[in-house]
Amino acid sequence: MGTLARSSRRYLLRHPWLTALSVLGVALGVAVSVAVDLANTSALRAFEVSGQAVTGRATHQVVGGPGGVDGRLVARLAVEAGAGEIAPVVEGNARTARQPGRVVSVLGVDPFAEASFRPFVGGPGSGLDAGTFLTVPGAVLLSEQTAAELGLAVGDTLGLRVDGRPETARVVGLLQPDDDRSASALQNLLVADVSTAQEWFGMQGPGSRVQGLPSDRVATGPSDAGRPDSSPTARPAPDATSAEPRTTDHGPSAGRLTRIDLILPVGDSAAVACVRAVLPAGTEVRPASSQAEALATMTAAFRLNLTALSLLALVVGVFLIYNTVTFAVVQRRRVLGTYRALGVTRREVFGVVLAEALVVGLVGTAFGIALGVLMGTGLVRLVTQTIGDLYFVVRVRELALSPAALLKGVALGLGATLVGALRPGWEAASTPPATALRRSTAEDRLGEGAGRLALAGLAAGAAGVGVLAVPAGVAGAYVGMLGILAGTALATPWLTRAWARLAGPVMGRLMGPVGRMAARGIATSLSRTAVAVAALTVAVAATVGVATMVSSFRTTVEDWLGSVLQSDVYVQPPSTVFRRGGAVLDPALAADLEALAGVERADAIRVRTLDMGSGPFDLVVSRLDRTRAAVNRYKAGSAQDVAARAASGAVAVSEPFAFRFDVAVGDTLTLPTDRGDRPFPVAGVYYDYGNDLGVVLMDERPFLQSYADPGYSGTALTAAPGVEPADLVARARVLAQGRQQVIVRSNRDLREASLEIFDQTFVVTGVLRLLAVAVAFVGVLSALMALQLERRRELAMLRAQGMTPREVQKMVMAQTGLMGLWAGLLAVPLGLALAAVLVFVVNVRSFGWTLAFTVSPAVLLQAVGLAVAAALIAGLYPAWRMSTTPPALAMREE
Amino acid sequence: MTDTLPTRPTGGGAPPADGAVIAIAGVRKHYREGDARREVLRGAEMTMPRGAVGALVGRSGAGKSTLLNLISGIDQPDGGTVAVDGVEIGGLSERDRTLFRRRHVGFVFQFYNLVPTLTVAENVRFLLDLERAPDAADRARQLLDEVGLADRAGAFPDRLSGGEQQRVAIARALAHDPALVLADEPTGDLDAKTGVRILDLLERMTRERGRSLLMVTHDESTLTRADVVFRLADGVVTTEGRR
Repeated sequence: MGTLARSSRRYLLRHPWLTALSVLGVALGVAVSVAVDLANTSALRAFEVSGQAVTGRATHQVVGGPGGVDGRLVARLAVEAGAGEIAPVVEGNARTARQPGRVVSVLGVDPFAEASFRPFVGGPGSGLDAGTFLTVPGAVLLSEQTAAELGLAVGDTLGLRVDGRPETARVVGLLQPDDDRSASALQNLLVADVSTAQEWFGMQGPGSRVQGLPSDRVATGPSDAGRPDSSPTARPAPDATSAEPRTTDHGPSAGRLTRIDLILPVGDSAAVACVRAVLPAGTEVRPASSQAEALATMTAAFRLNLTALSLLALVVGVFLIYNTVTFAVVQRRRVLGTYRALGVTRREVFGVVLAEALVVGLVGTAFGIALGVLMGTGLVRLVTQTIGDLYFVVRVRELALSPAALLKGVALGLGATLVGALRPGWEAASTPPATALRRSTAEDRLGEGAGRLALAGLAAGAAGVGVLAVPAGVAGAYVGMLGILAGTALATPWLTRAWARLAGPVMGRLMGPVGRMAARGIATSLSRTAVAVAALTVAVAATVGVATMVSSFRTTVEDWLGSVLQSDVYVQPPSTVFRRGGAVLDPALAADLEALAGVERADAIRVRTLDMGSGPFDLVVSRLDRTRAAVNRYKAGSAQDVAARAASGAVAVSEPFAFRFDVAVGDTLTLPTDRGDRPFPVAGVYYDYGNDLGVVLMDERPFLQSYADPGYSGTALTAAPGVEPADLVARARVLAQGRQQVIVRSNRDLREASLEIFDQTFVVTGVLRLLAVAVAFVGVLSALMALQLERRRELAMLRAQGMTPREVQKMVMAQTGLMGLWAGLLAVPLGLALAAVLVFVVNVRSFGWTLAFTVSPAVLLQAVGLAVAAALIAGLYPAWRMSTTPPALAMREE
Repeated sequence: MTDTLPTRPTGGGAPPADGAVIAIAGVRKHYREGDARREVLRGAEMTMPRGAVGALVGRSGAGKSTLLNLISGIDQPDGGTVAVDGVEIGGLSERDRTLFRRRHVGFVFQFYNLVPTLTVAENVRFLLDLERAPDAADRARQLLDEVGLADRAGAFPDRLSGGEQQRVAIARALAHDPALVLADEPTGDLDAKTGVRILDLLERMTRERGRSLLMVTHDESTLTRADVVFRLADGVVTTEGRR
């Protein structure tokens, strides 16, 4: 180890508190970013792993419109297209009765077709007893791990809730995955016979329910010569209520399938063309990987916003590192000056400063990654829960340790350290030795440069605003936001000095010389106080920004709910994904609800999920008369237009849909239907804050001409005059009892439940905000500890001259309080600017939402209080240290 | 008797005087103090022979430290030439001036300026280590023995008295065998008795090695040690012989 390195190491070890605080600052910044990254990648990996389990070795998938694929297509693919490896698949989600919050995926397969696709089901080592699997009603296979978690053994039954209806699964075997990856993939997965799954998800034959389509009950198995029983067999439609063992036929059933999996030769476009040639309208063949890509695209904006928030903690961490390195430079200016005078080159001095910072950065990064993995474990649950609430079921909720995320953490930690250390390192290296030997050099330089820095800050802020004006996507919005943050941080020394000068006389009047000294101390130690103020300002501004954005969003949503929830009672079956419905209401129950005494009007809706090739969105179908159309507020078009043209096929689209697919009133939308792609003119764009993936609103008449009827997803009841909504709720509950588990909610209950879910989706945001404040707190503590060390001689002199320890404490606390107050006051306008960017730029570019900007005075007051409290708490220990340092000891030259 | 030596003719292009360890010609230097411009050196001339012990005197604020900074290459003149050990250092880049200082100049400061995080021995061998000298440890040991601090080699500077620290600084200044040692008020922070001992040591060790020493001092009694005295007043250097 060289002499300079040895000296640095000893310096770091001699100041363990400061070193530890900078390590902690880097560690927290890295940890937050790694945790979010891991949570994001874990969520994506969960889709990937889950997807791989259910996709297996399939190279292609035949998918249909929203109603799925006609089961008879299996035979046609085998016979007419010559596809060798074919597997029918039915997929869906259910809740377990024993753990109501737990969602399981059901994969319905034909066991005889499975060996090539999903060896864990039909492969040689799977131990599948096909006879039992096919004959026992509700037979399912599940992994040993899932069975253990649910407390199940072979022979046990498992109660399920499918769209609120009770179903019973019977465990007939346990899947034994070969490795951990397969074990993860099989978590919360029930494998059932395709007919069982069809029964559970209402997809059983005969054939198709698309109006006007043939619906004979022909069901033929693929003519695969390798199958033990390849003779095409007719298969009766399963009787959902029958407890009789089913026949042993295993041919792919009639009815609907979610998809048909195929294994086609790699790169054989002729084979794909052959398949495509036999596909009916509304059905297509696509690569098996496209589904996972669509899921990743669907959540991209959500994940990007989390990442941006996590980087905020790191930005605050950069201030902390800057502060620590600056302190190390300032405190050793004499040593560095001596180095330079003796003949140490600028490059060597720069190297020393950077190397010290890198050591801190390395240790901090190592701790940060370990802490990030721990935090990620908690965060992945929050993230997957939010994704589960908003987008789709996430079966796998384990933390996936992605090497890329960890490497990114290392790069960020070291990068942030270098960024934080560059300026002080450059200052140390470029200071001429003669100047470096003088005291107060760093303060002079920062003092002189404060004005120039403020101008640079103004330029950075203006550049940030300029970037925001350019339509450069969400990433561009965050770059612009970073410019505004950097601009404020650069202007902070100048502003802080002005604040200290203003506060001096006031503090003098309030606290006498102690108060005056407290204020002046901020100005005279600007190189540290300003950085601490900047770090705290940025962190608190982030909380103001995000809180204002959330409260704006919440107010908008509340207002919107008030407008769209016009009915008195809402009935729907429980869905596995809150925001996305999809569960089917028993048709008889729907009819009875409409006829229920006290109901003036019933608006039943159907929900289908469509995909135009770039990710899913919802098609919501109802009787779109003037009353129903007028429930929405329109950004373009009008309720009258929508209602007038609805019967002829015109649709209204939600604002996020219009943004996502670049659609406007007057355009024609080509939607996939069960009869192939069909055009639908757009008559209106309406505000909708319930679904960021987009909604197309269609009248039921054109819908039923193009789609298989999926059944009602829910119904909204309007009470007749004189009927209390509470009475109607009670009557609806009585009506549904014993028929289907449904959620019956009053208008107010539904509004509250919606807001509850809204709040839940912002829990992650809240956690990240708090972490940024925690990093800033460490920054303030570190700055004050640095000040305490630096001012030991000055304070010792004051103590020697008669200043009491209590007065020293008062002075330190007054100083930190002033710093906190100033940071809080600066954070208010900066936070509001950030909120404006989040509301008017990030939200619009991410989701297409127009939000009303709502400023809550409580949020602003809380922010100032938070800043003052953080600063005061951070000041406690340094104040105590400063007041208890013996004057004689402090007077010694280091 | 005061022997005023003739000064060299002024002129920016004057070559280094043969046999001179320091040759300064026509050096000008000013500083800005707010809006005011203060001329510290106004065409200073100065030549110090090799192997000599010189003293630079002048009132506080006369520009002694400025001149020392110019001689060491820490600072650069506005005009004129500064040659040290035959090298015109004004023409060197900042990095080369630094390396020149590292190899040819030794420093003894008023406040010792030892590196607090290095031990006494490490402070002495500091420049030797930067130059990766293979005999650094031996030379440091030998020098510490010479200054009477061999037993404190492993101690950190804050455990030493002021006099001891300055002895370490002298050892450090001579460790790399520089042509010129610059001492900026080396006894300014010491009591009179210790100061005399330090000056004795500094003078003896420099002379024994045949090296040159230029001391900045306020103390008239120090001048008796000098072979040549440079007096700085009104931005001009006058040279006097031994007192």
